[in-house]
Amino acid sequence: MTLFAALFSHYRRHPLQLVALALMILVATTLWSGVRQLTEQARASLSQSEQVIAGRQQVLRVDGAGLTVSDFVTLRRAGLCVMPWLEVPRQGQVGVVIGVDPLAAACFDGGGGAFDNAALRLESEPFVDIGEAVRLARESPAAERRPSLVLIASGNVTAGALPGGYRLETFARGPETGELGESFLLNLDALGVLVLLITALLLRAVYRLGIVQRRESFALLHRFGVPPARIDRWLIMELLTLSALCILPGLWLGRELAGLLGQGFGRSLQGLFDAPLYSISGQWLAPALSMMAVVLVACLADFLVPGGRRVVGSRGHGKLAGILLGLGLLLALLGPSLIWVFAAVAIVFAGAGLLIPILIYRLAERAACARADPLVRWRYRELAVMARQLALPVVALQFTFAMVLAIQALVTTFEDTFDRWLAQRLEAELYVPVPEGRSGEAAARWLAAQPELKTSGAWHRVIRGRAGVSVPGGTQTPVDVFALSPVSSLLTGWDLLASGDDPWASLAGEQAVLVNEQLARRLGLSVGDRLELQLAGQRSNLPVAGIYADYGRPAGEILINGRLLPEQFQPEFESFSISPGALSRARLRSGLESVWQVSDITLRDNEEIRDLATGVFDQTFLLTRSMTVLTLALAGLALLIMGWVFFTGRAWYFRLLATWGLSRREVAAQLTRLSVGLTGRVALLALPLGIWLTWVLVHRINPLAFGWSLPMAVYPGFWVELVGLSLLIGLGIALLMGRQLRAGVAMPASATSMTGGER
Amino acid sequence: MSQPVLDARDLGKSFASGAERIAVFSGVSVSLAAGQSLALMGRSGSGKSTLLNLFCGLERPDNGVITLLGERFDCRAVEGFREQEKRWARLRRRQVGVMFQEANLMPALSLLDNVRLRARLAEQPLEQCQAWLDRLGIGELARRYPDQVSGGQRQRAALAMVFAMNPDLILADEPTGSLDRRTAEEVSAELFRLQAQTGVALVLATHDPELAERCRMTLDLAHGAGSGRAS
Repeated sequence: MTLFAALFSHYRRHPLQLVALALMILVATTLWSGVRQLTEQARASLSQSEQVIAGRQQVLRVDGAGLTVSDFVTLRRAGLCVMPWLEVPRQGQVGVVIGVDPLAAACFDGGGGAFDNAALRLESEPFVDIGEAVRLARESPAAERRPSLVLIASGNVTAGALPGGYRLETFARGPETGELGESFLLNLDALGVLVLLITALLLRAVYRLGIVQRRESFALLHRFGVPPARIDRWLIMELLTLSALCILPGLWLGRELAGLLGQGFGRSLQGLFDAPLYSISGQWLAPALSMMAVVLVACLADFLVPGGRRVVGSRGHGKLAGILLGLGLLLALLGPSLIWVFAAVAIVFAGAGLLIPILIYRLAERAACARADPLVRWRYRELAVMARQLALPVVALQFTFAMVLAIQALVTTFEDTFDRWLAQRLEAELYVPVPEGRSGEAAARWLAAQPELKTSGAWHRVIRGRAGVSVPGGTQTPVDVFALSPVSSLLTGWDLLASGDDPWASLAGEQAVLVNEQLARRLGLSVGDRLELQLAGQRSNLPVAGIYADYGRPAGEILINGRLLPEQFQPEFESFSISPGALSRARLRSGLESVWQVSDITLRDNEEIRDLATGVFDQTFLLTRSMTVLTLALAGLALLIMGWVFFTGRAWYFRLLATWGLSRREVAAQLTRLSVGLTGRVALLALPLGIWLTWVLVHRINPLAFGWSLPMAVYPGFWVELVGLSLLIGLGIALLMGRQLRAGVAMPASATSMTGGER
Repeated sequence: MSQPVLDARDLGKSFASGAERIAVFSGVSVSLAAGQSLALMGRSGSGKSTLLNLFCGLERPDNGVITLLGERFDCRAVEGFREQEKRWARLRRRQVGVMFQEANLMPALSLLDNVRLRARLAEQPLEQCQAWLDRLGIGELARRYPDQVSGGQRQRAALAMVFAMNPDLILADEPTGSLDRRTAEEVSAELFRLQAQTGVALVLATHDPELAERCRMTLDLAHGAGSGRAS
């Protein structure tokens, strides 16, 4: 028999351990590479979006009509450097492809120096030749978004050089996201790191258990003259081989997972930053090598750092855990930026990871000392042994519980808040956009004249455009402005985050403005602060009467009374929100069609929009939920396997109880109380960590990352579900062991060797 | 002669090995009264431990009848497995002390707590436990854990556990097999001394002819099937 065969014989006897180890590497790789793939896509998408459009300008028609090929021809014949830009939704996939004309882009190289970088290589998505984009657009008539042509102008093009009927505007594919994009990516990175940490802990736990059981074989081989270094080398080889076999399929599964979740994730990215999700070519080598390094470090840390291991429960660990917890909590409270808060979370998790096994161990020891009944005392002492022996999977499960609790609370709170928020925003039954080239003024007069609307209905007009705002003495910030008139009952039901006395009356009286949370945070605004407002060159100074929640977009917004808009204000968009009451929809339609002199207008049912928005939202959180559920399943499975293996090592002591006259049912009851006792305590001790993490997500990370906060809410019902799940894992361990104990009475030969005899 | 503590008739046991069955022993009969001792002799694999397991219900014979402390166990009886199991468990808990070569103690409990646990299961007073350890000469080690004492001291603690339950029958499977000669002599001397004092019946599986000689009867399983009859 060769040395390798002798070493590997352990897994011939314990194939389950080998399967568990391979499964751990596979699932860890899948989860991590799935998150990483999505993060890389998001990073590339945001970066490309910013890089390509940075400092660009576009040409628009003054009459607001859409651009056509003839506009492009007119502008090029006028000697202007413009390039067509056509975005087409990817059929059956996430994101868009962007069609550009390489010939037209050639003038950018010399003049604007714009499209001469790697962002515009036609062979790399999302950019394709415009002819290809047109073909794709024609092939997908049912595309969710109709492609619209944009004409990008080089930096040399000035407003004065444009032919009549055209104007220049900054080209932006979405609102200015500032550092929020980076924060979003940091959040994703943190999720990836957390998933990797948990899976690495589980991997280490399974591997270490095998190593502990193989120690006697190693000692025997050493006595036979095999140098320890050679054994270590073989162990590393064994691990590398196993990693190589499991990591590659794991990476492939991770890509599949990312593809599966990409739809919801793409919508999330689009919703948050107006940046579509581009697909990127997959990399194999770097992630494979990274994962292999993680596997090696997680499993062989003891070999790499000799003497680094210390016994769980030692006084030093307790002190260190206390220091880490104190430091982390303080940093989470006072951390000035997102990176500090993430560091604080990592420190608190490290502290909790050290503390929890010690805590369970000491509580069990104390309980054992306090009990007079020797059987109960034995059970508590066994629990203490388990807490030490299963410290790693216990900590991994605890982290997962805390993460699941926090994310579940965040998502559920967001769902509740978002539903309420959406219902308030879509309070009106109907949404009517003003047709292209028509004015809302005449329609507003017609609506005001309808007696049914006055008595039983409600309506208001919304004019959307851009404005500049600043605090006194500060620099001006561009914001979206929503001019409302009249201030109807459809608005006054909005929940405001902060408000003065009757803010809606102040808005109706043109005495104040309302601002969204993002703007309030960015400018440090409170109710009562005065705001310098610049609307189409006209300045005014008004106080803030209220701050409203606005989830999802990072753009700053203000609400003003429509009567404050100057004549020269250029609206970008106009619409009406109408609850017609006794006025029939047919009458409303015909009346507005008559006012606008168009044959067909859009009367959109807000209920449908609400359903659509809710559907998009559900997709948005699919990624987070799926990741947490998968991680929870993995952690649960790992503890189940580890618990089973641990109990297998101590099976003799349960058989001893049977030898001493406990019936099988009584032995099974002892086993169940032990395993359920451990998993239940893990879940209970995870609750405070989960609640703290919820607080950090709601009050620290979310405002820093997205510019808006949520009310802090906890969901005891979900706690009960998690505790229930932990009990199920405990019952699972007991069930597996119960079957093993029923299999027959083995001799105690191995009872004092290996892990079995530890206390 | 009073009613035997243990009476086994025509016991046989075999194990499956692939498609065939390998007979360990057959036709074994034993009768043991209170205060008597029986040594089970034989090579490794001759079935000594298996026979001990049959005597306390940890394994089932293929054929034969065992009467233990007045309770009759017939392998051909129509009585359900669970019912027999319960009766065996009740006897092991209160009246039959089982002692192995090693691993008789719970590693998570001190020596005293181990003795207390065994006494508690047998519903015996816990106050006597320290006294049993004292009688076996390890009273001062009562608070120590099994891994903090020597093999001989662990076996003495195991003896204390068995005697603390005040049994009618002790089944000892090579109780000194893992000890050095001197310690083994000391432990076996204690065992026989206490057996004589308490009048408990003893069945001892051993390789050691000297130890077997100290027993009143010997059953040699060395010749396999059909050889078992106490002499």
